[in-house]
Amino acid sequence: MTYALPALVFVMVALATVQTLRRAAWWRLGAAAPVAWGAGLLALPKRYLVDVHHVVARDAYASRMHAVVAGGLLAATLLAALAALPPLGGSRIYWAAVALAFGVTAAGAVLVGARRYPKRPKRLSGGGFQILPVLLLAYAFGGLAAALLLAFGVASAPALVAAVALAAGGGLGLAYEVRSGPMRHAVAGALHLIAHPRPRRFDGGAPDAALVALDLDAPRLGVETPADLAWNRLLSFDACIQCGRCESACPAFAAGQPLNPKRLIQDLVAAATADERAYAGSPYPNARDVAAPTEPLFRVIGEGARIHPDTLWSCTTCRACVEECPMMIEHVDAIVSLRRHQTLELGAVPAKAAATLDNLRAAEELGGRPLAARVDFAAGAPLPVIGEREVDVLLWLGEGAYDLRYGRTLRALVKLLNMAKVDFAVLGAEERDTGDLARRLGDEATYQTLARANVATLARHRFKRIVTSDPHALHALRNEYRAFGATYEVVHHTAFLLELVEQGRLAPGALGGASVTYHDPCYLGRYNGETEAPRKLLDRLGLDRVEMARHGRRSMCCGGGGGAPVSDIPGDARIPDLRMAQAAETGAGIVAVACPTCTAMLEGVTGRTAEVKDIAELLLASVEAGR
Amino acid sequence: MKVVVLLSAGRHPVSGLGALPRLEAQAIRLGAALGPMRGLHAGPDAEAVAEALGRGLSEIDHVALGAGADPVPALAAALRAAAPDVVLAGRRGQGGDETGLVPYALARALGATLIPDVIAARPGSEPGVIEVEQALPKGAARRLVVRSPVVLTVHSAAPEPRPYAFGQVRRGRIEPLAVSAPEEPAAVAIAEKPYRARPKMMRGAPAGGSAADRLKAATGGGEAVQADVMVSPEPREAARAILAYLRQVGVLPPPARAG
Ligand code: SF4
Ligand code: SF4
Repeated sequence: MTYALPALVFVMVALATVQTLRRAAWWRLGAAAPVAWGAGLLALPKRYLVDVHHVVARDAYASRMHAVVAGGLLAATLLAALAALPPLGGSRIYWAAVALAFGVTAAGAVLVGARRYPKRPKRLSGGGFQILPVLLLAYAFGGLAAALLLAFGVASAPALVAAVALAAGGGLGLAYEVRSGPMRHAVAGALHLIAHPRPRRFDGGAPDAALVALDLDAPRLGVETPADLAWNRLLSFDACIQCGRCESACPAFAAGQPLNPKRLIQDLVAAATADERAYAGSPYPNARDVAAPTEPLFRVIGEGARIHPDTLWSCTTCRACVEECPMMIEHVDAIVSLRRHQTLELGAVPAKAAATLDNLRAAEELGGRPLAARVDFAAGAPLPVIGEREVDVLLWLGEGAYDLRYGRTLRALVKLLNMAKVDFAVLGAEERDTGDLARRLGDEATYQTLARANVATLARHRFKRIVTSDPHALHALRNEYRAFGATYEVVHHTAFLLELVEQGRLAPGALGGASVTYHDPCYLGRYNGETEAPRKLLDRLGLDRVEMARHGRRSMCCGGGGGAPVSDIPGDARIPDLRMAQAAETGAGIVAVACPTCTAMLEGVTGRTAEVKDIAELLLASVEAGR
Repeated sequence: MKVVVLLSAGRHPVSGLGALPRLEAQAIRLGAALGPMRGLHAGPDAEAVAEALGRGLSEIDHVALGAGADPVPALAAALRAAAPDVVLAGRRGQGGDETGLVPYALARALGATLIPDVIAARPGSEPGVIEVEQALPKGAARRLVVRSPVVLTVHSAAPEPRPYAFGQVRRGRIEPLAVSAPEEPAAVAIAEKPYRARPKMMRGAPAGGSAADRLKAATGGGEAVQADVMVSPEPREAARAILAYLRQVGVLPPPARAG
């Protein structure tokens, strides 16, 4: 009888392997992708134990639960398999160890069950996921009973048979679930960590958030059917455990726009699978009508397809979902590649976005305004335009320069640069849009044209580094223009101003009294990992700084990214209203911002009680107060 | 119904960069409702109108001309050969040397009717007939029924152009078209003068009185504006009032008098 448990384990492993291979047939429908298997395999333990754990640990209960249940399950199963070796099978100490491992699994299974019964939290999916604790309990308690019987040397055949049968019921169920049930996340997740499409995100440096350049000569542009996705992207979607962390973080979901990143990933899974189980999580809010699910590998987006275009255009590309996903899924890459097909091949962009893209193409500026008018904000203040001479700092003005409100911020910044005697200049009429917006809207052709033109312009001038107050421009210039062979040192104005203060070139006085909360721009925090410089700078101003519940890398978007303001998909609420309400909860009288888009979005909130001020404006006020 | 849309090498009004005039992009959308459509461009460089391929046009014929040559003879020859039922064009040019007169010159050369300021067109009830909606000042519009061949110029109130799709440009075709037409420089009959602001005359405004009085007189403000307000009228009465109003503003002809 000592061979019953190891035999069960071997059958389970065989069944799980068969189920994995059946599933792998679907992954192989995807397009080819280069994967560094060796390096990925070697890095797997670190990616799992450090990177995944770092995210999982944000939910203390889930983290403990997962450590106990997954650790117990693996240990118990491996140990039980060893009973096939003759000396072990007869050792009662060994069976006591097996019993201990099954006991740990059982405790974990109870934790899993307690989270889902009697009431399941909204963000978790039901359906097949509700069976998971039952299977775990059966496997764990069956294994525990069998191991205990053997450990105590109880030779009751009926009892042992009953225990192993219970374990077999649970264990084979778990193995069977590897293809399309909850246990898929374990196998697909491990493979996904090995074959991750963005291995650089595990290197520990700045986030790897630059979109991959699209080959504009490819026969088909963007993703139309799931088969256009790389196979390891299809694999990555299978890793989803439907934990709903992305959904809780998504600003569009919170605002009642028809987007739910979890549902989107599940729709992409279902779009590539013939017999996927019905989705049992939260729906797209205010879901638009789409045609009944079409056959697999059909086009994904459309009013007559699985995902409504409004879902696609609701995304602000804020990356909050990517930041929160314990399975390291890259939602934004998927969304942008789907948008690329809509925009480039079908010309199916929302009307207002189409007008903006027309402007970008024909006027190199998204409002269709003259490039020379970009410097008008200075209103006579000294603003040197770059010439032959090399300057220390090239000031990239960005779109905000055309905005009346944001002009105040830029004037403050220019004034500070002049006060600190920084050797700087602007490009003047030579500065075009970076193409960031076109890129997020999927118009890679316009983006690449603008990027090439900007790279050529910058190559004609000599400067040591670029300073910009626009995190979107910063991300494009610093990270995305690398694909065009251009490497610049790009500094955000908050980091640069902090440098000036630390060098003593600017002497802030105390503003005193007021309390301030800082809203992290997505493209600075999550896209570039810069969350500290703005805070350090604010702390120098003698302000009372309080944090919103969501801040730093986990901050919530203002609603202004990814072309969302021009796509303008209606929801129940507006994202900036939600964010300002979060700011109001802190009681701070000032919301400090560091991005022209955040400024416009948050200042556009009606009935707000707090002032919206850029950090440059606050620093200028404090420097002037200190004199 | 065979449709040809005339394409010109326009410029963006602010940046001066090459761009397909918006009116022509609207013309492409409008023409799609009529039947198979081709683009036609006469000029030195076909690339200048390639954008039209991304707006829903799949084929363009290009008549190569030297810079500065008059496109009308070449276009007229090409159109005579193709014999389309409908020729679409923008109502004005949006480029360097354009006068906006090309559609008129072509209509004369082809002996076709020209309907300006079109906002919609669809095939009519019998073959060879087209139903056209024409924009009038102050947001009014009227429906016309015309017999082909016609030249239609498109008004900016026509439906928005279809968004540009880069991928469709790659699939579209531009085909060179040889025509035998004399190539002669465009007759420059226009003189350029710097813009001079002229005072606007307000018809019927009194010369004297204060500025406020003159404004009132010109805008019809001042005393309570005459308005016919009928509260829950009899349907017949209401219909009579509407008819009377429509006759008064000239939308309907005056009642035919017996005898
Ligand atoms: S990027 Fe932001 S808006 Fe888009 S799906 Fe993710 S969380 Fe939602
Ligand atoms: S995509 Fe990631 S965060 Fe969202 S439900 Fe799936 S595993 Fe959880």
